[in-house]
Amino acid sequence: MSIFRKHKSIVDRAASDRGRHKKKIEKAIKESIKDVIAEESIIGQNGKKKIRIPVRGLREYRFVFGNNEKNQSVGSGGKHTIKRGQKIGKKRAEKGTQQGSGQGSNEKGDEYYDVEVTLEELAEYLFNDLQLPDLDKKQFRFVSQKSIKRKGYRFQGIRPRLSKKETLKRKIRRKKRATKMGTYDPDTDERFPFHQDDLKYHHIKPKNKENSAAVIFFLMDVSGSMSQDRKYLARSFFFLLYQFLNHKYEKVEVVFISHSTEASRVTEDDFFKVATHGGTIISSCLNLELDIIEKEFHPHSWNIYTFYCGDGENWHADNEKSLDLFKKIKDLSQLTGYCEINETYKGFADEEDDNAFGISSWATFSAWKNEEMENLWAKLNPLCDNKFKKVMVGDTEHIWTAFNTLFGGKMNS
Amino acid sequence: MREWTESDLLYWDEKILRVAEDLGLDWHPIDYEIIDYQEMLSAMAYTGLPTHYRHWSYGKEYERSHTLYNMGQTGLPYEMIINSNPSIAYLMRENALYVHILTMAHCVGHSDFFKNNRMFVNTNPNNILDSFKSASRYVRGLIEDPSVGIDKVENILDAAHSIKYQVPRHPGIKYKTREDLLATEYQKMKEDDTYYPDLEKIPLQPEYNILKFIAKHSKHLKEWERNLLLIVEESSKYFIPQAFTKIMNEGWACTMHYKIINELNLPDGLHLPFIKLHNQVIRPHLGQINPYHLGYKLFEKIIEDKGFEEAKIIREIHNDITFLRCYLDEDFMQEMNYFSYSLKKDLKAITIDDISDDNGWEKVRDELIKNVGLNRSPIIYVDEITPENVLSLVHEHDGRDLDLPYARKVFNYIQTLWGDDVTLVSTVENEIWEF
Repeated sequence: MSIFRKHKSIVDRAASDRGRHKKKIEKAIKESIKDVIAEESIIGQNGKKKIRIPVRGLREYRFVFGNNEKNQSVGSGGKHTIKRGQKIGKKRAEKGTQQGSGQGSNEKGDEYYDVEVTLEELAEYLFNDLQLPDLDKKQFRFVSQKSIKRKGYRFQGIRPRLSKKETLKRKIRRKKRATKMGTYDPDTDERFPFHQDDLKYHHIKPKNKENSAAVIFFLMDVSGSMSQDRKYLARSFFFLLYQFLNHKYEKVEVVFISHSTEASRVTEDDFFKVATHGGTIISSCLNLELDIIEKEFHPHSWNIYTFYCGDGENWHADNEKSLDLFKKIKDLSQLTGYCEINETYKGFADEEDDNAFGISSWATFSAWKNEEMENLWAKLNPLCDNKFKKVMVGDTEHIWTAFNTLFGGKMNS
Repeated sequence: MREWTESDLLYWDEKILRVAEDLGLDWHPIDYEIIDYQEMLSAMAYTGLPTHYRHWSYGKEYERSHTLYNMGQTGLPYEMIINSNPSIAYLMRENALYVHILTMAHCVGHSDFFKNNRMFVNTNPNNILDSFKSASRYVRGLIEDPSVGIDKVENILDAAHSIKYQVPRHPGIKYKTREDLLATEYQKMKEDDTYYPDLEKIPLQPEYNILKFIAKHSKHLKEWERNLLLIVEESSKYFIPQAFTKIMNEGWACTMHYKIINELNLPDGLHLPFIKLHNQVIRPHLGQINPYHLGYKLFEKIIEDKGFEEAKIIREIHNDITFLRCYLDEDFMQEMNYFSYSLKKDLKAITIDDISDDNGWEKVRDELIKNVGLNRSPIIYVDEITPENVLSLVHEHDGRDLDLPYARKVFNYIQTLWGDDVTLVSTVENEIWEF
């Protein structure tokens, strides 16, 4: 007679190992993230939408046989007629003997997981180490950053919040007391063990960190020279930036300005969707920004951040003026970022060191479409310092690098 | 709504056991746990054991089965039973009654096999659950210990898992201790004056149990690290017999469930879906070996040729390797239409090497045996510890080369565990290769 039992356990026993596995996968996600962030499917989505990312599974290494000719496998031919020397495909060997519970397969082979994440989670992975630099104390208005702070101690708590210091203090106190009372003799070698009552735990409280007000200017070139590809890169860059701000800072003002020969303040929707046409006069948008700053966002009360993204070509007569304006904006802003979309960068990026970003050889590779157009990249060199950073983006994979340059995160690769 | 109740299970269980008794089977009592599919995924991840120490790889296993299941690539197993006394088996709540009947009959077959096959004599089914439980408790203690913590535990477990198949491959025999070996050597020296073995050498003979050897001889491991290695080694030892008898075990269980259920006189409503499921389980997998199919067909042939009593003896004394070596013949190989294949580098394609005709069947059989159970893992042994405390390992090359990137990683793991230099000698493309 067998026994039948309904399983009583309500505990999900695999949970902790899955959590641990997930942590490791997260690391893997971070490593593959730069391939993913500029995917078409992500750009323009809202935060709740789930995205599938393929992540290479974590390998468990052990001694295995390689794929050499002496390593033959055996299979059943079923009802088929088979001949020696017959080709039966390319991938078979890797699929191999995957079934069979328990023992885990001895075969190697790349496993890919589709990990489903929301954009919000993605932002969590991406932006954890990044922050707006130099957020100064200014008058007025506050943006809040949610955080959890340790505050005080409790006798009850979970293991990870154990306060070693407080626990040790209590033990020492108890030991002293015991010595005084004569119940413990410190001269003997006997250990004075911890006691359950010694344990103290950190208590935590959610805290809204209050920061000064910040306004971010998004400036994008929508002139005719911004081809589909360039526009796509620019959009990706801004989209990521926007996600970053939304994720990290609850209240920031964002001003969208798009420009060709003239600049206009647009809504978020229009900014990401608008079509391109016309020539390029960068100063137009810089003027508009200064205008808006003067009217609405006084630098005494606001932290100002400016990000410009374009293909770097400007009407040559406008360059001097633009440089002046960039300088003005730099003086008002906490950080000014200049992002140039330049496909020719693709081939050279690998050869360049990180600090070679600003080297003037760049100008010679820039596309000169028009006699009247002139590239701004090299001319911006004198402005570059902590408060003015320029980055070059030639391909989707550069976006993440550019991002880290701007916001001082650690590179995850 | 499910269309069965627990009393249905009890009713059929009683009938199944009665038939099994008539067949002369001898099994551990079985405890069935009725679980849902998520619990089944967990059970699978931990190879059916109710308690198991923590490691992320089991989480990965869970996610893997989950992904496959969700993509519809695999169904969940109908049966999952572990070698213990009493045997613990799982029934998935979502399954229909005929699936449970098949599973229960199948489990009796497995449990009978566990109890009788000689590979399992040292698996200690009475206490195995307790020893896994205490291992699990020990690992948890280390993880929570502030001076150790999960990262350090994982480092050791990752490394230990990389050589978990590097354990002796002859379950069911007793291994000689160093004292035994020394005694034999002294005896030999007495009989033969010219015989001077190096009695200082460690190990005296090639040592295949790398995990245990490192745990014992490493000069750098901490006490808890040694214990972790031994825990992994213990659990390997428990699973090795199952890896050794996959084909026989499944074949036997399939043969038994088929025999038992044919005696039950199931009503058509249960019998027809049962037949369908049975045929699905034992169908050949194109280009692969389905152990259920091979084992079932071979036992069927044996029972036909030699009778059921003989088959019962075979299920006691053989393992997959000897089973196939003794009972595969040309007719059978041809009927199964087995062939061997490999990746041809020059053609960049997988091509068939041999087929089961007059000339080829023996070669195909030999390749098949090379691919059974642990024969798929390379054999590495400890040759000696040099005076400089270098651990010298040798790969027993059988024609198949190691995968070098993987071997390099494992080599690094072994170095971590050993703490001093390690060498590994192998053959790659007919040349000696040393790490």
